[in-house]
Amino acid sequence: MKNNKIRKLFKNPVVKAIGTQKLIAFLALISLYVIFGMINPAFRTYSTLVNIFDASYYIGLMAIGVTFAITSDGIDLSIGTVLTCSALVSGCLVTKYNVPIAFGLIICILIGALFGLLNGLMISYMKLPPFIATLGSMMLSKGLGSIFTKAQSITWPQATAEQGWFRCIFKINQNDILIPTGFILLMIMAVLASVLLNKTRPGRYILALGSNSEAARLSGVNVAKWKTLAYVISGTMAGIAGLAYASIYSTILPGGGGGFELDAIAGVVIGGTSMSGGYGTISGTLIGVFIMSILKTGLPFIGLQTHYQQAATGIVLVFAVFMDVLNRRKKN
Amino acid sequence: MKKKLLSVLLTAAMAAVMLAGCGSNDKTAATGEPAETVTESKAEAPEGETAEDAQLGKIYLVSKGFQHQFWQAVLQGAQEAAAEYGVEIDFQGPDTESDIAQQVNMFNNALNNNPPAIGLAALDTEACLEGITKAQSAGIPIVGFDSGVPGAPEGAIVANASTDNYAAGELAAEETYKLIKETIASAASPVRIGVMNQDATSESITARGSGFVDRIKALIEADGKTVSVEGHDKWVDKADGADVIIDVAVPAQVTAELSSIDAQNLLNKADTICIYASNQHSGEGLVNGDANLGKLGKDIVGIAFDSGALIKSAVKDGRLAGAVTQDPLQIGYKTVELCVKATKGETVSDVDTGCQWYTADNMEDPKIAPNLYD
Repeated sequence: MKNNKIRKLFKNPVVKAIGTQKLIAFLALISLYVIFGMINPAFRTYSTLVNIFDASYYIGLMAIGVTFAITSDGIDLSIGTVLTCSALVSGCLVTKYNVPIAFGLIICILIGALFGLLNGLMISYMKLPPFIATLGSMMLSKGLGSIFTKAQSITWPQATAEQGWFRCIFKINQNDILIPTGFILLMIMAVLASVLLNKTRPGRYILALGSNSEAARLSGVNVAKWKTLAYVISGTMAGIAGLAYASIYSTILPGGGGGFELDAIAGVVIGGTSMSGGYGTISGTLIGVFIMSILKTGLPFIGLQTHYQQAATGIVLVFAVFMDVLNRRKKN
Repeated sequence: MKKKLLSVLLTAAMAAVMLAGCGSNDKTAATGEPAETVTESKAEAPEGETAEDAQLGKIYLVSKGFQHQFWQAVLQGAQEAAAEYGVEIDFQGPDTESDIAQQVNMFNNALNNNPPAIGLAALDTEACLEGITKAQSAGIPIVGFDSGVPGAPEGAIVANASTDNYAAGELAAEETYKLIKETIASAASPVRIGVMNQDATSESITARGSGFVDRIKALIEADGKTVSVEGHDKWVDKADGADVIIDVAVPAQVTAELSSIDAQNLLNKADTICIYASNQHSGEGLVNGDANLGKLGKDIVGIAFDSGALIKSAVKDGRLAGAVTQDPLQIGYKTVELCVKATKGETVSDVDTGCQWYTADNMEDPKIAPNLYD
């Protein structure tokens, strides 16, 4: 009896429209927040919420970008170090070579886009497997960033400095006013990405070639061009994520960035995007990223140090993918 | 035929690149590690250089990394000494201060070049042990700097050029206690002092942590209050129902986000009255972590170490009550000096490069200002 009721729930059109895995992820997100808030009232404050947001901007932006790469039946391992490289190089130009900050912001995004283009060309035209190609560009960007700044770290201008206005894009924090503007930016990016993926021709082509590359090619889709676009988007978002990181944490370390891509990919997978390509959900990605952010920020509130967060994310990830596997098995 | 031709061409290209790399002696050689960076400093030998000095081989200095500007100041001091003594130095460091394996590789590679002397700031002495013993048997003197090489076998390290980190931690404790004495004395319920250490393995960090914890515990107990030390297995002295809790936080890895979260965690606890950060990285983590909460300088006293643009501005505007600065220029300078002396067979001994307490009031002092790098 109970089985039938549950089956009926899954067949409910609203649930189907949202997507079962995404719904479960969303409910998990809300429950985590409520549970942490109940265990420790200090968690429920506005400033903690802003802390959670702060920690999620750079991962969220990267995750939105890499959703495109994963949807095209590929992967992008370079986003973490591309984030660091773009932020390092543009930050160095601003602080050491007196380039105006406005140009610095644009250059940061451009560097990300360039690495994305490199990835796209390697994967689409040189036919390198995505894992290998992006592994190569990951190491390349890590080295180039260090070489450009001579292995020195770069500290972006403070909020109070003349060039510090760029921080307002992600957070306004003056005279007791605290507004997480980065959240608005993240939402705008998410909406744009979602529309691009689901409602425009390039997006639908990426979905098609991710689902069945050969069929797409035979249907006349220029697979190489659209696959390259997926990686350009991934790289560009990594560049924007570099700005987010610089705005919140100020200092970019040359050795940093390694590992960020795994956080982003974990967010994407928890949110419901399939690793085998053909299906991508931006809203799911954001939910996955926020789940990880809440775990990262909230576990210390209930007495567990950050190492527990890493273990917890691993468990959540495996669970989420298992749900996806079950879902697909049911469909077949 | 085509495939064979292609593979022959590729092999030839690889060989050509390798030969080109080996051929250039005075250019920085790219090693196998991806992001390893090596800074070479060719000394401007002054006129009338003696033949012996010019023949001294390259001295390698393996530091904990380049990331924080602190090390740039050390490098600057080392370069000054290299120019004065007419020697060549090679200042290296791993990507991050968590990359112990990378540092061990660098150290071993340096040894393979048979240098006259090596400077080492070990991320973890145990990991470098094999190289250290090798250096000792080959007769290559090792000069420790900054963290030095604590626990190394007898005689392997000929001298150290560093801050007495334990004393520096004690200095921080004494200045901090002056600021929180009243709060502790008049507190009705237990209060908390946070201690942020970026790791629990390198000498400089652990000594500064222990120096602070031991000294402030002694000061608090001298005034009749009880203390409990908890939070990390390395600094543990739990006592139930204590008046003051010293809470030590060490992040899983040395990254900005994790340190920021450690800081937020301490800042959010209702009973925290003071937080001490034992180096530039933790200090910046503390200031970043407070960005949204705004408690530093108001409800919570913040103490940091070293400088850098972020910490300096926080000290200036009062978010941080003060910080302890080392003398990175001297650390670099003395290290090279000790290396040169050791190579010439002179007796060398440890040099304490000293530390000073600075606040918004004395930051501009001529004795303190030169140490406050950006």
